[in-house]
Amino acid sequence: MIRDPTTMVVTTMGVPDETGADPQGPADPCGDPFLRTRFAIPTLPVTYLRRDRLLGHLDAAPGTPLTVVGGAAGAGKTLLVADWAARRGRPVAWLTAQMADKGRGTFWAYLLQALRRAGATLSDEVGLPAEAGRVDDALLTRLAAELSARAAPVTAVIDEYDRVTDPEIADQLEFVLRHAGTGVRLVLVTRTEPLLPLHRYRAAGAVTEIRNDELAFTPEEAAALLELHGMRLPPDEVAALLARTRGWAAGLRLSALAAQGERDPRSYLREFEADRTTIGDYLIAEVLRRQRPETQDLLLRISVLDRFCPALADALTGRADAELILTGLHRENAFVEDLGHSWFRLHPLFREILRAHLRARHPGLETELHRRAAGWLRHSGPLGETLEHAAAAGDWAGAAEALVGDLALGELLAGPRAESLAALFAAMGPEPRTPATDLVRAARALSLGDLDRGLPILERAARTLAREPRPAAKGIAPTASDPAAARLGCTLLQALAARLTGSPAQAEAAARRAEELRREVPGRLLDLHPELTALLRAHLGAAHLWAGRFTEARAALTAVADAGRTAAVRPSAARVGEECLAQLALLDHLDGHPGRAERKALTALADADHTGTSAPPGAALATLVLAAVATDRDELDRAEALLDSLTDDVRRPGCDPASRAEHALVIARLLLARGDTEGALEAADRTVVAREPSPWVEAQAALVVAGSHLAEGRPALAAKLLTELPGEDPLCLVDAARAELAAGRPAHAGDLLDRIRPRQGLGTVTAVRAALAEAQLAGVEGDREARRRFVAQALREARRDRLRRPFREAGPWLRPLLATAPLRALAEGWLLPGAPAPDGTAPAAEPAPVVEELTGRERDVLVRLAEMMSTEEIAADLFVSVNTVKTHLKSAYRKLGVNRRHDAVRRARELGLL
Amino acid sequence: MRYEIRVDGELTETLAKAFPELDHVVVSGHTILFGRVLDETHLYGLLARCQSLGLRVLEMRQAPQ
Repeated sequence: MIRDPTTMVVTTMGVPDETGADPQGPADPCGDPFLRTRFAIPTLPVTYLRRDRLLGHLDAAPGTPLTVVGGAAGAGKTLLVADWAARRGRPVAWLTAQMADKGRGTFWAYLLQALRRAGATLSDEVGLPAEAGRVDDALLTRLAAELSARAAPVTAVIDEYDRVTDPEIADQLEFVLRHAGTGVRLVLVTRTEPLLPLHRYRAAGAVTEIRNDELAFTPEEAAALLELHGMRLPPDEVAALLARTRGWAAGLRLSALAAQGERDPRSYLREFEADRTTIGDYLIAEVLRRQRPETQDLLLRISVLDRFCPALADALTGRADAELILTGLHRENAFVEDLGHSWFRLHPLFREILRAHLRARHPGLETELHRRAAGWLRHSGPLGETLEHAAAAGDWAGAAEALVGDLALGELLAGPRAESLAALFAAMGPEPRTPATDLVRAARALSLGDLDRGLPILERAARTLAREPRPAAKGIAPTASDPAAARLGCTLLQALAARLTGSPAQAEAAARRAEELRREVPGRLLDLHPELTALLRAHLGAAHLWAGRFTEARAALTAVADAGRTAAVRPSAARVGEECLAQLALLDHLDGHPGRAERKALTALADADHTGTSAPPGAALATLVLAAVATDRDELDRAEALLDSLTDDVRRPGCDPASRAEHALVIARLLLARGDTEGALEAADRTVVAREPSPWVEAQAALVVAGSHLAEGRPALAAKLLTELPGEDPLCLVDAARAELAAGRPAHAGDLLDRIRPRQGLGTVTAVRAALAEAQLAGVEGDREARRRFVAQALREARRDRLRRPFREAGPWLRPLLATAPLRALAEGWLLPGAPAPDGTAPAAEPAPVVEELTGRERDVLVRLAEMMSTEEIAADLFVSVNTVKTHLKSAYRKLGVNRRHDAVRRARELGLL
Repeated sequence: MRYEIRVDGELTETLAKAFPELDHVVVSGHTILFGRVLDETHLYGLLARCQSLGLRVLEMRQAPQ
C-alpha cells in the first residue's frame, strides 16, 4: 500500500466523478457501471483549426449509412469528427472503443448505452447483452428493426475503432447497418481499415470516406494553424514544413509547440526541417524538453494510464500539483485531452512515445507506477482496473488482496468475469504466499476440479488465517488486510471443496462459519457481491443433494433460485440461481416426478437463454434432466439428441459431481433401453466421481447393473444385487421384486413389495413400476382381476407424464392384456396407437409396439436365426459357446413373447427388428 | 522468421527501446528494424506498434535466414 499524503485526497470514496463511472445508471454485462468518459465527445482545444472542406465532406453525403474517417495516429481524425458532431443539431451517440472490450457483449452494451444516452429511444425490448463475451443475434435483430423504424437517422460515432479487433463484431455491425436502413448513420474513426466489406459499400455509393491524404493539411491550412500558435511564416517556409511533416496534423502542431518557446522560431523550424530523426520522436522529445521538470515527470509517469484524474496522477507523482499542470497542458493542447468530469487522457500517439521515454529514463519505474495506480484505484476505482495495474506491476499479493478484500473471490468462480479474472491470475507463480494469493490459487485449482492441488493450498490458507488476530473493534473500514473478508472467502472455497468431495458436513460447517463472518465485513461489499452468498448456499445445497439429503438440499437451492429470478439481481448471482434451478430439476427427477423436473429444467434453460449466456453452468444439468425424462418416456432418439447437444464440459472433473454422475447414469439407462448392456455397464461404472459416495447415485447405478443382468437372463443375480443394497430405495425394491418374479420366486417378490406398500408419497415413476410389479405378481398367482386392476392403476399414474419405459420393460405378459378393454382405452393415444377415427378408418393395424428392446447380442443371434443357421453354427460364427447362444435366444423369446424359432423370426420381422 | 522493417526517419535510441526484441540500424534518413518475428500475430503487433508511435513504414520484408 502507498501511504503518502496524496492518497488522502481521495478519501471521499464512491463519489461518481472520482471514477468517471455512474453508479446510479445501468450496468455493463459484468455488472459494473458504465464509464461515462467513454461516451464523452472530446472537447476542442483553442488551437483547433476548423477545416470546412472536411466538415463539408462529412455533411455532403447524409444519405450514406457508413462513414469511415481513417488515418494515421495524430492525423486529426477524432477532433474533426468531434467538431462535426458538436455542430450537428441533433445529439450524436459517441463511443470511444477500448482495448479492454475483449467481449462482444461489452462492446454492444456500450454501444447501446451510447445510443440511449444520445436520446435514441430504444425500447426496453431491445435489451442489453448479459454476458461480456457474446451478444445474442436476436438482440441485434431487434436493434436493427427499431433503428429502421426511425423517422430521422441517429448518428453513432465509434472512435478508435481500430481497437476493435474481433472480426465477429465487424460482422455484427455490418448486420445492424444493413438491416437498419436509413435509421442509423455510423461513423467509424479508425487507424486501420475496418473489417467491413467496404468495396460493396463503395460500389453502392453507400460510404463516405475521409482518408489520410484528405486529412493532410494544405499549405493554407498549415499557415492558419501556425497562426493560431502565434507564428506567421512565408509560404516557402510553410511548404518546407509541410514537406517535412507530410501534412501530418500532429507533426505540425508539435512543431508549432516546439518552436513557440524559441527566441527565433523560424530558424528553429529550419533546423527541424533539416533533421532526419523520425518526426514524432523528435518533436515530442523537443516539446517535452521545454516543459518544467515537474511537468515532464508527471507526463512520463501518467503514460502508464489509459485515463486519469488529477488525484490519480498525484498518486503517481507523489506530489499534489497534477490538477494545475493538467489543466495547463490541456489549455496549451500539449498532449492532454479532457474527457469531462475532470478525467483526462493522453493523446494515444504521445502516450506511446512518452512510455518509451519513461522506460529509457527511469528503467524499472513503470512497475512501481503500476503498483501505485493499483493502490489508488483499490480505494476509488473499478476492481478490474485495479487488478490489471497490480498484475502489470507483478504485485500479486496486492491483486489477490484487492480481489479477496472486496469479497469478489466468487467472481473468479462464477459470473461473466470469471474467465478474464482466471486469465489475469494465470500469470501468478507459486510466490508470494499470502492468505489472499493462496485463496486465489485454491479457487483456480478447485474451479478446474483439481482437488489434489487445491485442497492443500486451501488448508494452508485456512491455517494462516486462523492464526491472524481478529480486529478488536467491529465495523471498521476494510484495511489492506482485512482478515474477516479473507476468512469469508476461505469459507466459500471450503464449501466448494465440500461440494466437490461430496461431504455435506463440511459444507454445513463452512456455511455456519460464513454466517458469523458476514457480520464482520461491510454490508456494502456483501450487497455488491451477491454471488458470494449465492455460491455459498448453492454449494451447501449441492453437497446435501449429493449426500441424498433432499429436504435440506431443496431448502438451500430454492432460496438461491428464487433470489436469482428477482429483477434487480446482478448477473453473477443470476447465473448461480440458474444453476440451482437445474439442481432442483434433478431433485424432482430423483424424487420420481418427471413432469415437475421437466418444467424446472426448461425454465432453467429459458432463463439461461434469456440472459444470453453461452455455456451457463446449469444448462448442462438441465439438459441432462430432460434427457433422463425422455428416457423414462421411451423417447430414446430425443434423449440421445439431448445428450449429443452437451459439450464435454459436463465430464470435466471441475464440474459438479452430481452432474457428472447423472451424465453417466443417463447414458447408462439409454444404452440399457437400447439393449446395449455392455455399454450400459461401462457407463454405470463411471458414476464414481467424488471422494464420498452418494446413496442415490449408488442406487441408480445398481438399478442399471441389475437391469443388464435381467436383460441378459440373470434375474437371480439382479435380485441379489438390489436386495443387498443398503437404504431400501423404493425403486430398487420394486426392481428387485421384478427380478425375483423373473427368477420364478413370487414369494420373495411379494415380501419385497410388502415393504413398499405402506410407503406414502412415492414418485410417479416408482408408483408406476410398483403397480406393474404387483400386476405381474397377481398374474403369477392367478388373480386376473387384481392383475387388470394394477395395470389400470399403472396406466392412470403414467398417462399424464407419458411414462412409457416401465411398460416396455414389464415383459411379454403385458402386451395381450393391453389389447383388452378397458385397459386399451387407458393406453390409447400415448402408449398404444390412437383409437379408430370416427369415419371408420382404422389407424395402422399393427401389433402393439410394447416390446422390450433386444440387446445387441440377441439381435446378432436373431439375424443368424433368420438365415436358417443352427444354434451350433451361430455359436461358431459369433465365437461364443452354444450355451451362451441358448441364453440369448431364451431371453429374445421372452422379450418377443414367443416360444419357437419360427415365431421369433416372424415377430422380429413384424416389429422391424430384422 | 526474420523480418526487416524499414521506417522513415532516424530512430532515436529512446524510441528504439520500444522495440526491445529487434535490432536496428540507421541508414541515410531511414531506420531498419530487424530480427526474429515469432509469428503473424507478432508481425502485425509490430506494425501496430510502428503506427502507434507515429512511424511511417516504408518497407517490410522477410529476410533470408
